[in-house]
Amino acid sequence: MRPGARRFAEVVCPPQVREGDRTERVLREFELMLAALHPAARRAVTAGLVLIDQGARLYPRSRGRRLAGLDDRAAGAYLGALLGRHGTAAEMARRLKSLVVIGYYELPEARREIGYDPDPYIAAVSRRRLESYGAHIRAVEAAVTAPAEPSP
Amino acid sequence: MSAPAGLVGEADVACDLAVDCGAVIVGSGAGGATMAAELAEAGVDVVLVEEGGYHPTESFGTHSGRALRTLYRDGGGGMAIGRPSVLFAEGRCVGGSTVVNGGMSWRTPAQVLDRWATREGVTAITEPDMEPYFARAEARHSVGLQDPGTVGRDSVLFRAGAEAHGWTVLPNRRNQLHCAGTNNCNNGCPTAAKRSMLVTSVPRALALGARLFADCRVDKVTLSGGTACGVTGHFVRPGGRPGPRLTVRARAVIAAGGAVQTPALLMRSGLRSASGQLGRNLSLHPNATVIAFFDCDVTGWQGVHQAFQVREFAPEGLLLTATNLTPPMLAGIMPGFGSGLGELMADYNRVVTAGPLVSDTGTGRVRNLPGLGTQVFYRLTDADAARVVRGVELTGQALFAAGARRLLLPFDGAPGVRGPGELRRLLARPVPKRSIQLYSIHLMGTARMSENPRRGVVDSFGEFHGVPGLFVADASLFPGPTGINPMETVIALAMRNARRLIERRARYRL
Repeated sequence: MRPGARRFAEVVCPPQVREGDRTERVLREFELMLAALHPAARRAVTAGLVLIDQGARLYPRSRGRRLAGLDDRAAGAYLGALLGRHGTAAEMARRLKSLVVIGYYELPEARREIGYDPDPYIAAVSRRRLESYGAHIRAVEAAVTAPAEPSP
Repeated sequence: MSAPAGLVGEADVACDLAVDCGAVIVGSGAGGATMAAELAEAGVDVVLVEEGGYHPTESFGTHSGRALRTLYRDGGGGMAIGRPSVLFAEGRCVGGSTVVNGGMSWRTPAQVLDRWATREGVTAITEPDMEPYFARAEARHSVGLQDPGTVGRDSVLFRAGAEAHGWTVLPNRRNQLHCAGTNNCNNGCPTAAKRSMLVTSVPRALALGARLFADCRVDKVTLSGGTACGVTGHFVRPGGRPGPRLTVRARAVIAAGGAVQTPALLMRSGLRSASGQLGRNLSLHPNATVIAFFDCDVTGWQGVHQAFQVREFAPEGLLLTATNLTPPMLAGIMPGFGSGLGELMADYNRVVTAGPLVSDTGTGRVRNLPGLGTQVFYRLTDADAARVVRGVELTGQALFAAGARRLLLPFDGAPGVRGPGELRRLLARPVPKRSIQLYSIHLMGTARMSENPRRGVVDSFGEFHGVPGLFVADASLFPGPTGINPMETVIALAMRNARRLIERRARYRL
């Protein structure tokens, strides 16, 4: 599955995926997500990836090669044609694309490149929350484990 | 990060366990945790069993993939199979879906309660009957409006667009204690401002003496002489390997695993309903997402999402709201790939995502299939499909009125739209039902209430018809869709049904 998955990731993710070890990290994330899926879905996704990889042989511009063996132009044209169709194969390709690009946009550098850097923001607003409302928050949190609340 | 007293996870268990208690509750979400707290407060010996792990507030971060793997069932990738299929997500962790939802807290509309009473034969469920339980739920979970300065700009823009059309817009009510607007609800609230079960009813139940077994999957409800008398299950080791077995003997069994897992568990246990409705009658409030690109900076991740609801079309069964998505989630639904996807995502900070929630008339079904496990099937009716399309059009109109320059619609192969006229012309043509991209986080109705055992799986207070001592306490109970975010309904019904159980505790020897 790996060569096909790698090629799939290189084509569906933005071109920067080939910088450094991004592709490898996207694949690791993809494999972790795969492991989290329902077993039936995992089998379907794994089979879908093999079908998409091998199905490229039927694409006229592939000259009988699988996706892993196609150059960028042919691989892009093949996946573009597949993703643009209706039906089960296209649906599977779209689901696979979603799983892979989710992994790409987990990469800190990919997030930074689009201006998403939530951690400093979260730290700042969390601090402000405690400064503004700390006493009330502590009182409510203490009441959680206090003896009986009034009943209706 | 020390675990609370009373919590036992898989790492704490080396050999098979057998425990006795008064009530065993399967699932620690809105229904299960509430039941646990209410019963424990009345002095009942409670055991709570949760399939997911215990993840404290301190462990929550902004990595969506990690959250999907640790806090959600099946990585958040559930699918109701149909044409179109509907993606759905359920929480699987201590606190259940309340840990990962948006925290919207609304009372069940009076007309929905009336319908349940008059058409479905549910007793003691009028608005006056339910009022004290709504009030109690809201007090425990700090339900209220956002503090000033915590709302995301995407929500503000969407409200402005809706108000430009003269539509009714309401600020959303949330279970939040001075929410800071971290906009991390779906990955777990990093400040505990969201008053999920993880930080309210679960610790309350534990403080009142309940025991909680986490990382433990319940396989079956056990029966003796037709009466529920416990559950059997097994701990789940890392990687999903089965661990030691857990046997719980109890005088009341409460299934609260949600509208998919509860009927699956009951059917696995060999239970049948004379109504034929166990696992059927699934509603899921289909949602669709419109992606709008603005010229101005939106930076919607700074401030809480879904701060407002457009209620103008509620009589038609449509709610509209802006729902900010993290980059991985947005990329997952974006059309295009490669450099095209990169160009769309480069505008991430100028994007607003919004869409309709449909109170559905179609239904689905939960089934246990050999070799495939629990599967969900759903049929979107033509009428509901038409309402999704109308909801998308209305959402688009609001977004254009707010200044959007381009929309991407949730229909396979639909072109980008650059103005309200283009939107109207495009949607005047039929939209193939199978091309609609839908998702859901509100699954309901698969063990519905009715006093009539030929119509309902459980009675008006959640007890399974014909199986004394077996109760349901989650959104499976609903006879139909609420048309509104269902969490507060689940909590209030759990409080009401717990009260009834406590009043009749002698019958169950609790």
